[in-house]
Amino acid sequence: MPILDVQHIEKHFGDTRVLEDISFSLEQGQAMAIIGSSGSGKTTLLRCLNFLETPNQGKILVNGETLFDADDPATQREAEVRKKRLHFGLVFQSFNLFPQYTALENVTLAPQLLAQEQPDFKARRREILEEISSQGQALLERMGLADRSGHYPHQLSGGQQQRVAIARALALKPDILCFDEPTSALDPELTGEVLKVIRSLAEQKTTMIIVTHEMAFARDVADQVIFMDSGIIVEQGEARQVIEHPREERTRQFLSRYAGS
Amino acid sequence: MLLSVSLTLLEGLVVTLQLFALTLLFALPLGLIISFGSMSRCTPLRAVVRTIVWVIRGTPLMLQILVVFYGPGLMFDLPLLPRFTAAVVTFVINYACYFSEIFRGGIQGVPLGQQEAGLVLGMTKRQIFFKVTLLQVIKRIVPPMGNEFITLVKDTALVRTISVYEIIWMGESYIKKGMIWPLFYTAVFYLVVNGILTLLFGWFEKKLDYFK
Amino acid sequence: MKKRLISMALAVALGLSLTACSSGTATQPDGGEESTAPQTQASTAPADSDAAESDLQYVKDKGTLVVGMTDFAPMDYKDENGGWIGFDADMAKAFAESLGVEVEFLEINWDNKLMELDTKGIDVIWNGMTITDEVTEGASVSEPYCKNGQVVVLPADKAEDYQTVESLSGLNFAVENGSAGAEQLDLLDLTYVAKTTQADALMEVASGASDACVIDLLMAGAMIGEGTSYPELTYTVQLNSEDYGVAFRQGSDLTEAFNSFWKDAYDAGTVMEVATTYGVQESIIEK
Repeated sequence: MPILDVQHIEKHFGDTRVLEDISFSLEQGQAMAIIGSSGSGKTTLLRCLNFLETPNQGKILVNGETLFDADDPATQREAEVRKKRLHFGLVFQSFNLFPQYTALENVTLAPQLLAQEQPDFKARRREILEEISSQGQALLERMGLADRSGHYPHQLSGGQQQRVAIARALALKPDILCFDEPTSALDPELTGEVLKVIRSLAEQKTTMIIVTHEMAFARDVADQVIFMDSGIIVEQGEARQVIEHPREERTRQFLSRYAGS
Repeated sequence: MLLSVSLTLLEGLVVTLQLFALTLLFALPLGLIISFGSMSRCTPLRAVVRTIVWVIRGTPLMLQILVVFYGPGLMFDLPLLPRFTAAVVTFVINYACYFSEIFRGGIQGVPLGQQEAGLVLGMTKRQIFFKVTLLQVIKRIVPPMGNEFITLVKDTALVRTISVYEIIWMGESYIKKGMIWPLFYTAVFYLVVNGILTLLFGWFEKKLDYFK
Repeated sequence: MKKRLISMALAVALGLSLTACSSGTATQPDGGEESTAPQTQASTAPADSDAAESDLQYVKDKGTLVVGMTDFAPMDYKDENGGWIGFDADMAKAFAESLGVEVEFLEINWDNKLMELDTKGIDVIWNGMTITDEVTEGASVSEPYCKNGQVVVLPADKAEDYQTVESLSGLNFAVENGSAGAEQLDLLDLTYVAKTTQADALMEVASGASDACVIDLLMAGAMIGEGTSYPELTYTVQLNSEDYGVAFRQGSDLTEAFNSFWKDAYDAGTVMEVATTYGVQESIIEK
C-alpha cells in the first residue's frame, strides 16, 4: 500500500482552473520531485496536501486512511484538519521562520504546544520539555547548525535559516515532508548546503515531495518525477527516465530551456 | 506664589492623567475589537465598522465631546452624563478608532507566511495569534502607539469645553487674575509627562530590538 | 416617543446587518425606509423642555440650585479659601436659601451657557450676564437688576487719541466671542478678534497683540488701572448702556420666583448692602 495516494484532485480559483485531475501515489521512503514552469500548479498542489488550500474535487489518502474527500464535508472539519496536517510537513520557499524565537525555539515551539495536549503533560512537564529540547538540539546538529541554536533568524544566513526550517518541519515527525522550491529564495552560493541536507534526508529514506527548479538535483535525489504544465500532470515516471529521456514533447521543451542551467 | 500655582496646576494634572489612563485602559481593548471588525470577512459588518471609524476619525474630537455631553439632553431630554464620564466616553470611542487602525496595520503587516507556518505545524488559530503573531504586531505598533499616547496627553486639554477642570483650565483661570505665566507654565507639566512616555517607549522599543 | 422610534429603527437596522452577517450573505439592510422617516421628523422638531413640569419643583426635589458662572470679579470670584464670593455669588446664595435648597457653583465655558441650561447641566446663568437677543431668545430672562455698559479699554498712553466713537476706526480690537461688546463692534463695523473670555481679551491688549478691547464697564472698573494687574490700561469710550439679568430655562417658573425674591430683597435693603460690599452699588437698578 502506498503511503500517499492522491486521487483526481481539482482546484479552481474563481474561473481559473489551477489543478485538473491530479492523481499520483508515493511509496514509503521514496522521494518525489515535481518540476514545471512557474504557474503550472506545483505550489498549489503542495498547499492542497498541507490543507492550506481546499481542493474542489478529489481525495487524499495517507496509509489508506481518507484524510480528505471533496464529497464528504465530515473530512473538512477545522478541528480534524489540524490533526491531519501533522501527517505532512512543509518547508516554504521563504522559510517563514518565527523572527522572535531562536533557532532552537523555532524547532521546539510546535512540539511543546502539542505536548500540552497530552494527558500526562502536567505531571511530567519538565521531563517532556527537556526531551523536546534535546530532540530539537539533535535535529539542528543533523542540519549542521549545532552552534547556531541560540541565534535569532535575522542573525542567520538564508541557507542556515532554511535548514532551521527543515529541522522545524522534521520535529513533528511527519509521514511526508514537502519542500516548496526550498532554494529559490537563496543566493546561488547558499543553495548547496540546503540541497546537501535534503540529499542526506533522502539517503535516510525520508518520504519527501520536492517542488524544485534544480533538474540535476531532482534527477539524482528523487526516485520519481512529475512534470506539470498548466495544472495537469503531463508526464510522470522514474526520475532518470523523465529527465533524461522524456516521452512527451512538452517535457522535452521545458527541459531544454533548463539544459544550460 | 510659584508653589501655590504649581499645586493648583498639579490638581489639574491629576484630572488630565486620570483621563489619560482611563482612556488607555478602555480604548486599547476596544480598539483591538474594532480592528477585528474592520478586517472581518463579513462584508456588512466590515462596512458598518469602517463607516464608524471614518466618522469618528473624520470629525473633530472637540465636536464629539460636545455631542456626547450635550447631545442626550438636547436631542432626547435625557439626563446628562457626569462631565468627567462624558469626557472619558468620548475619548475612549475616539482613541479606540485610531488604535484600531494602528492594530489593523500591525496585524496586516505580519506576513501571511507566519500564519501558514503555524498552521502547517498543527497550531490552532489561537496559538498562532498568541505565540506567533502577537509579539510581531506589538513590535510593529510600538512606534505609532508612542505617537498616539503623546497626542492623547495633549488632547485631554479639549475637555475644558465641558468644564472638566484639567490643567489648561487651571492655568487659564489665572488669566482672570491678571497672571498670564501659569498658562504657559502648564507646558512644563506636559513636557514632563511626555518625556516620561518617550523614555518608556524608547526602552520598550529597545527591548523588542532583539528580533527583526 | 419619537426618540424611541429612532432607537428602535436603529436597532432594527443593526439587527438586520448582523443577521446578514451570520448568514454570510451580503443583503442590503431593508430597514432603510422605516428608519429615515421618524429620524427627519425628530431632527426638525424642537427639543421640548420640561416646561410642562415645574422647574421650581425640579430644583426643590433635587435639593440643589446649580449656578452656571465664570470667574468674573466683582460678580463672581474666589476668596482665599477657594469659596465663591462676589455680588452675584452672594445673591445667588441668598436666592437658593429662599428656595430652601443648597447652592452649587459651576464654572462653565461661557460659549456653551445656553446648552448647559437647556440640557440641565446647570439651572441658572447668573454671572453679570448682559441681556442680549441671544439670551432672551434662548432662555427665560429675569427683570434687569443691574446696569452696565461696554467700554473701550486701551493702553493709558494712547487714551487721549481715542475719546470718541469716530476715532476708533482703524484700531484692531479683541472682544469676548458672542458678548455684548462684540455686538457693539459689529454695529460700528470695526474689526476684531474673538476671544473665549473677557480676561483673554484684556490679555490681548496687555501683550500688544490687539490695540484695544471692549469689555463690561463693571469688569473694567474692577480689573484695570492703578492697583490692579493691568495698571497700564485704562478705559475711554462707553459704547452703549445695557442691563444685567439672570437666565433660567425657557418657560421656567423659577424666573417668577427670582423676580419676587429680588423685589423682597431690595425692599429689605439686602441688595444694596451686598452691592456696597463689592463696590457695585452705583449700578444697581431701583425696584
